[in-house]
Amino acid sequence: MTMAGIVTSRHLLLWLLFGAAMLALPQFVSNGTIRIIIFANFLAIFAMSWDFLSGKTGYVSFGHPFLIGIGAYASAILSYRFHVPLEFSIPLAVLATLVGGTLFFLPALRIKGTYFALVTLAFMELMYQLIQVVRPDLTGGTRGMSGIKTVLTGAAPNFYLSFMLMFVIAFSLWLLSRTRLGTALDAIAMNEEAVSGSGLSTTRLKLFAFMVSATVAGIGGAFYVHYLGSIAPRALFDINFVFTIIVSALIGGASTIVGPMIGAFFMTFLLEYLRPVLPGSERYFVYGMIALVLYVYKPKGILAILADLRDGMRAQGTGRAQRGKAS
Amino acid sequence: MAKLLELDQVVKRFGGIVATNGLTFDVNKGESLALIGPNGAGKTTIFSLIMGEIRQNAGTIRLKGEEISGLATHQRIGRGIARTYQVPRPFADMDVAGNIRVGMMPNNLWQMLAKGPDPDAELALALSVGFSEGDLHKKPATLSMGDLRKLELARTLATRPEIMLLDEVFAGLTVGEIAQISDLLAQKRREGMTFIIVSHDLRSLEPLVDRAVAMTFGRQIAEGSFRAVMDDEQVRAAYLGQ
Repeated sequence: MTMAGIVTSRHLLLWLLFGAAMLALPQFVSNGTIRIIIFANFLAIFAMSWDFLSGKTGYVSFGHPFLIGIGAYASAILSYRFHVPLEFSIPLAVLATLVGGTLFFLPALRIKGTYFALVTLAFMELMYQLIQVVRPDLTGGTRGMSGIKTVLTGAAPNFYLSFMLMFVIAFSLWLLSRTRLGTALDAIAMNEEAVSGSGLSTTRLKLFAFMVSATVAGIGGAFYVHYLGSIAPRALFDINFVFTIIVSALIGGASTIVGPMIGAFFMTFLLEYLRPVLPGSERYFVYGMIALVLYVYKPKGILAILADLRDGMRAQGTGRAQRGKAS
Repeated sequence: MAKLLELDQVVKRFGGIVATNGLTFDVNKGESLALIGPNGAGKTTIFSLIMGEIRQNAGTIRLKGEEISGLATHQRIGRGIARTYQVPRPFADMDVAGNIRVGMMPNNLWQMLAKGPDPDAELALALSVGFSEGDLHKKPATLSMGDLRKLELARTLATRPEIMLLDEVFAGLTVGEIAQISDLLAQKRREGMTFIIVSHDLRSLEPLVDRAVAMTFGRQIAEGSFRAVMDDEQVRAAYLGQ
């Protein structure tokens, strides 16, 4: 049964190679690049959190910073205001995110599609407004907080930490998505009525997806704030941040987990390399264009392009072999 | 004979329209019942009510003597009822095996995680409805209407029902496909499956049923042997519009 059925040794080898290559990276690239990759790791975590919920079940979240924000703010407040050690503040923050995830889940019982997306957007906006007015002595109000304790210092240690987090999350979500449960979540996006028509409780399946997504968002948010050392509502509850997450997941290949991870790296480097040319928010216009072109010609994203390339190379290989035989 | 499914005075209103008006009938275990009537008579509504996809305004629905009106669709399926749809609803991005896989899943998250799919059982079920082994990895978009109906039957059978509600199983099929599906249903009947079948193809329906209920405008107008119901004055009037 279990592992053997869903994972081949080739898969494991690829994961191992990827992990080893990334861990060796700090030996070869500059600290600046390492800092960029740290951001890519966090974006990948957020994009995979989004993907496990929205990519899989089709319940598109436009308010993921709501979940990320709960994780980030909870841990920041606990450690900064109440001097709770990070070993406790981070797990507590993840628990808080689960409560937030439950709230996030409630509208999904009644509404779907565009309406659900709008409600999640409202969640984020509400959080943005509330954080500034309710107990600003705790949240830091509009200006946020700075001087928050960091887990580690220096580029390389933070790279290892963020990469290990990202890697473990990616591998776990990828495994989950290959189980029958993952298949059932995919089926919800295709036809929710037919899933309940197959005797499965879609409420329970959706709740599971929301909880997993919230856990990952909470972990990502909490570690992110303890990497940055500061937090400000303006940057976190920002529609551009939402789009960066969603576009990463979509151009990578929604519902594949690995796709959003690739997408996050692609997006981070794209935005970073565009910075000298387009210093302002015009950069977002460029990635909007790339996303648009990709949706039109390859809606399944970068991962599908890679798969096509692989199949193309195989076909060419066999074609050559056959021609060789013929002549 | 033991009554498997009983409907008692079931009423369903959509706004001012009464789709089902005090309907009362039952199906015995192992029996096959035809539900006939002109378009808009309320046949599909009854299926939706039995499955709990919509709820009745009045009346009771009992399975094996137990009231099931409070149960959600997946719970009713868990108790042994399943239906097919007039328009097949496959999971578009999954192949035939994947579609069957979803049908076979237990409604238990832990088991879904801990146990992988069972390709042998998937294949056996696919073969039992008339697919060949080569069809297993075809996507629904490439299947004919006959194959889509087979897929729907396979996914429904995968939930291990005791009673199946079949909605227009012969619609859109070629003569050859009708014969195939008929054979399959006849075989399931011999194995003891209970059916309620809705079909406009009365000639194909007749050999597959023990009894018929005819309805029009949400009311029951005749019940009895298939022949007797077809010869009924009111039924003829409803069909021919006299």
